[in-house]
Amino acid sequence: MDADDEVQQPKQKRNKQRVLLLSSRGVTHRMRHLMNDLETLLPHVKKDSKLDSKSQLHLLPEIADLNNCNNTLYFEARRHEDLYMWAAKTPNGPSIKLHVQNVHTMDELKMTGNCLKGSRGILSFDKAFDETEWGKLTKEVFTHIFGVPPLARKAKPFIDHVLTFSILDNKIWFRNFQILEKDPLQPNGPPQTSLVEIGPRFVLTPIRIFEGAFGGATVYSNPEFVTPASARSLVRQNKGDRYRQRKD
Amino acid sequence: EDVVPTQRVEIDNEVALRRIRETIQLDPSLPWTETLAVSCPQTIEVDVDDDLNRELAFYKQALHAANTARTLAASHSLPFTRPSDYFAEMVKSDAHMERLRSRLLDERAGIKKSE
Repeated sequence: MDADDEVQQPKQKRNKQRVLLLSSRGVTHRMRHLMNDLETLLPHVKKDSKLDSKSQLHLLPEIADLNNCNNTLYFEARRHEDLYMWAAKTPNGPSIKLHVQNVHTMDELKMTGNCLKGSRGILSFDKAFDETEWGKLTKEVFTHIFGVPPLARKAKPFIDHVLTFSILDNKIWFRNFQILEKDPLQPNGPPQTSLVEIGPRFVLTPIRIFEGAFGGATVYSNPEFVTPASARSLVRQNKGDRYRQRKD
Repeated sequence: EDVVPTQRVEIDNEVALRRIRETIQLDPSLPWTETLAVSCPQTIEVDVDDDLNRELAFYKQALHAANTARTLAASHSLPFTRPSDYFAEMVKSDAHMERLRSRLLDERAGIKKSE
């Protein structure tokens, strides 16, 4: 990947990734906690302060460059309730825009797993990613962003959790599980792998894939995506229709 | 009058998508230990609204990944299991885990009481 590596032949090639993580203004507490969770799970993430303007996304590649990052994960909040995630390779693209729904953070008490801070997680993708061209590209970008490189400064040497990405209903579902290798009830019995969920969980709906970083030609757009605002207005409209019918 | 507009243009430029993927792709000669990515051989086909079976499907996918990764790690001689005397900061703090435990105990006590 680097020119240096070719000069020193015996030196191993390395996967070098750093991710800039930042949000727009107007994120709610839940969105902020989700970002904090991602920051604790991914030791190669550099968090930056909120981006001031939603219309100037072209600044992001520059900020990433200043922080020596070659990936950017940008969370954009709209109307204080909708959350969009941009997963981009900077500076040359591509970038994927996704709609984030059903967010549950690690702070919730239902998920009892725990793992080392900064341990490298296994990335698990289901087969549906390999069936479409956009799925393959998404898998590649997510491997760069969510896969912790072995030389990440704060990475721990053991593996104790799995990040799963599954495509179901044209959406990408994210889960994070702890790997338990011993049965807590029989500590001396045969090793039996089991999993406990750590969190966070969220569902991503792909909207568009752009050729460049935060811009450029659209190479994929999801025809089934309905903006959350229009979905809400449809619900309201139906409610109004029901009232009108009752009145007549 | 109020028909939902469904005639949206779908863009799916497979040629461009493939070209982009090839430009950003990691070197295929990199060993598996650099990315730790595992593909599951199955697609998930469950009813989306059936919470229990859906989560079970995700669990199975993760379990498959964990088992594959352990054998792969053994063949790459990458340390996998954390030794029991290795202590380090965890993702969730001790205080948080304590709250979890007390909640579990409370729930168990509640169930016992109702019996």
